[in-house]
Amino acid sequence: MKAWTFATLSATVLLTALAARTGAVPPVIAEAEARRLAAIEKVRGSVVAIFGRGGGGGGSGVLISPDGYALTNFHVVQPAGKFMKCGLADGVLYDAVLVGLDPVGDVALIKLLPQEPNKPFPFAAMGDSDKVRIGDWVLAMGNPFLLATDFTPTITYGLVSGVNRYQYPAGTILEYTDCIQIDASINPGNSGGPLFNLDGEIIGINGRGSFEKRGRVNSGVGYAISINQIKNFLGHLKGGLLVDHATLGAVVRTDEEGRLVVRQILESSDAHRRGLDVDDELVSFAGRPMTSVNQFKNVLGIYPKGWRLPLVYRRTDEERNTTTTHQVLVRLLGVGVDRQLEERQPRPIPGQPPEPPQPGQPRRPPGQPPTPPEDAEDKPEEKAPSPAAKFYEEKKGFANYYFNRLERDRLMAEVKKLGDFSGVGEAWRIEGERVQPVKDAFAAVVRQGQVRLTLGEQEYALEPLKPGESLTNLREPRDSGGLMAALYVWRRFLEKGPEGFEIDFHYGGYEPFYSDGTAPSRVDCEVLVAEHGPFYAKWYFRRTDGQLIGMETYTEKDHDPCEITFSDYRDVDGRKLPHRLEVRHAGKDFGIFVIKSHDLKTASDSKEKQP
Amino acid sequence: MTRPIPILFAVVGWLAAATAIRADVSFAEVVRKTNPKIVKVYGAGGFRGITAYCSGVLISPDGYILTVYSPTLDTRELRVHLYDGTRHACELVAAEPQLDVALIRIKDRERFKDLPLEHFDLSQPPPEMKVGDWVLAFSNLFEIATRDEPVSVQRGVISAITPFAGRRGIHEAAYRGKAIIVDAITNNPGAHGGALTTRKGELIGIIGKELKNALSETWVNYAMPITELRDFALRAMRGDYKPLDRPETRQVVDKKPYHGLVLVPDILDRTPPYVEEVIPGSPAARAGLRPDDLIVFIRAPRPDSPGELEERVIASCKAFKETLAGLDPGMTIKVIVRRGGQLLSLDLTLEPPPPAATK
Repeated sequence: MKAWTFATLSATVLLTALAARTGAVPPVIAEAEARRLAAIEKVRGSVVAIFGRGGGGGGSGVLISPDGYALTNFHVVQPAGKFMKCGLADGVLYDAVLVGLDPVGDVALIKLLPQEPNKPFPFAAMGDSDKVRIGDWVLAMGNPFLLATDFTPTITYGLVSGVNRYQYPAGTILEYTDCIQIDASINPGNSGGPLFNLDGEIIGINGRGSFEKRGRVNSGVGYAISINQIKNFLGHLKGGLLVDHATLGAVVRTDEEGRLVVRQILESSDAHRRGLDVDDELVSFAGRPMTSVNQFKNVLGIYPKGWRLPLVYRRTDEERNTTTTHQVLVRLLGVGVDRQLEERQPRPIPGQPPEPPQPGQPRRPPGQPPTPPEDAEDKPEEKAPSPAAKFYEEKKGFANYYFNRLERDRLMAEVKKLGDFSGVGEAWRIEGERVQPVKDAFAAVVRQGQVRLTLGEQEYALEPLKPGESLTNLREPRDSGGLMAALYVWRRFLEKGPEGFEIDFHYGGYEPFYSDGTAPSRVDCEVLVAEHGPFYAKWYFRRTDGQLIGMETYTEKDHDPCEITFSDYRDVDGRKLPHRLEVRHAGKDFGIFVIKSHDLKTASDSKEKQP
Repeated sequence: MTRPIPILFAVVGWLAAATAIRADVSFAEVVRKTNPKIVKVYGAGGFRGITAYCSGVLISPDGYILTVYSPTLDTRELRVHLYDGTRHACELVAAEPQLDVALIRIKDRERFKDLPLEHFDLSQPPPEMKVGDWVLAFSNLFEIATRDEPVSVQRGVISAITPFAGRRGIHEAAYRGKAIIVDAITNNPGAHGGALTTRKGELIGIIGKELKNALSETWVNYAMPITELRDFALRAMRGDYKPLDRPETRQVVDKKPYHGLVLVPDILDRTPPYVEEVIPGSPAARAGLRPDDLIVFIRAPRPDSPGELEERVIASCKAFKETLAGLDPGMTIKVIVRRGGQLLSLDLTLEPPPPAATK
């Protein structure tokens, strides 16, 4: 095979010259073909043919990492179950396990097991689907009609017909938002397979088509879930979560002048707390101009619940004839399909077509009677547990808790890097001053069952777990959203880790954090989510280096949290602690605190000092 | 000037030309320039397989739009969404059912005096096209795009340029001219009225309705060449278009045969064709048919050679209606019915419909 990597000017000249002499294929055609072949050759090894273990289901997927993580559709794994068989272009069938699920977005993450330990899988890089333009060439790969018994992918070629398409849920909760419409042929079996650009980067996951009179075969319109949407959910998926999508908590419509206005809003929504109200006009959301209801749904559809995103709205006061523009950060509510999601956990569907032929499978010796059919149909999963079974752990609310523990422990290892807090002394004393918005002396003593805080002249105290403690007290000092509670939860987190949170402690995927409370200060983070007593908290770890840069403490779930940004980490007796805390609540600054000293003398410390 | 410089220019120019026509180059630029010339049309419909939307192409700077003639246009509430998302009320200017095309225009054309619309210029001769050429299809198929969202684009190759006889159900299509047949699946719901262009974005055809090939009963992806429609469009814009004379054969004559049988209500996919009622004095009554007879077969003259009889299984009320619809008054057919445990063969002579039974 010709090994043209990509078209350079010199290649053009060379090819043109060659063609002129030999009268062969015109150079532009040869060059285009060469580029196409190069792209296909580069990525075809990453394409996965997926089959259910019991023969249920079937579809396609694509490997995105050398350790075997592969993307596919939710509707492909749903009938296949928790374990599946995956064929690659090398002709080998691998065992795979379900990792994460996004039923609304129709995405699933699975993990293939290598045949030899640590042998890397071929994988494809993820591109930037926001750069895809209508009219661009694309390559769709997969296993349409489950044709390929040797697992080599079928490749279809076509154009991008549309971008930022919105497709309503089709009789289910599956909703395709901000998707890529293509004319490359997508058929049953292509589901879950990759859509590539001509550089061989994944720009989408093929999953749906518009069919009508022609039955369930391509009619020139296929849809791929944009890879940028999947990137937003990838942390959640890797963390074995059952992902929920987001809503603003508002119903919008287009008015006569083509403006997008709020028709209804939930009073308990964060958008409402940030000031959004009926008749306000949406200008932009997550940085995108709002021109139609479809575009609004597109933006909502590509983010997980709980994400905080910038919203710009305009309010017209007709009496005073004034228009004001407001920029706020809004926390998105869950769509609230959690219960539906539970029901949609994948289960193998019995009585589906038989398992596809497996190369290398022992054949029945001649003369030996075939296995009785009832044996073959009898719950294959229970008979022979999948080799992937040790990578599966069931837990309510999770697609696969095994992977959540994995990711949680990875972040906890980052916490360990800050030092060993397990033997800290009875009282943690923090001293410093509030430098903004007003100067005040600041001191806090954080104990396991009690927090005392001094701010200027004011003194506060809190027993966080005292039964019947009022919400007002839990949120002291006023306008902080519960700074004492936050300090209490923070200490507990550092000291006890997962064991300190009896209700919940899990990895929460990717989420943006706004280090100074404004949209431009966005830092992409991973989060740990925990619940203890009346408190619900999130810790934010910067994705680039794993640094713990902030936390949020909620005293009530649908209430504004106390947000703290950590910076200026310095060494304190062999432990790293932040010496600058920025505290915010309800969109307002409560104060910037410069810490002069952290004192957490411990028994072990004192022992070390007296050899 | 010395000689090397012109040569250098020539080489650079040649290289630029070579890269400009790279075959793998994205169509994004052509699509960007063409999309503003396509409109989304909204009108009547939304039931019985008639979409309430279709596509159209702008052919003047002040809002004349060429589209396909369909029931969608048959409303006072006709409107279009332009590329920028603005909505405009429209009116039908002229239609030529035999060409399956119509010209509509935006009512308020004053607003485009200072802001002329992007459009296809039909006063220029249409571009060359031949079998094997790449084409792009622009339409709002399946109503995927709304408001300011660009319509869908598809890519294909001209498979044939040929006379085309299409049909929809039992109705023959009006259009009998040449058609550009393409290999992409372009003719979907709502695609009619969209543009078929060259790879450079020049208009060569208007995407037609969803039709089947009358001979092969397969769905056809085609466009009506702009060469066939241009005269209509230019004249209609000037206001001097006169409809074509209609050939006599297209006159619809009600020659439905009358039999006087009333079957049970057709409520299932395959409702068994039981006789519910026989109208007294009707051909069926004279033939001896009775309520509760189950019609099993009909032996009737073959459509292609009326001298021969052909036996058809009548498995449903629908099959009965379809079989009878193809027959003429005056014919005598054999109706085989099951009555009790017996099969009976009865001669039924069809009549022209009596005036009272034409409803």
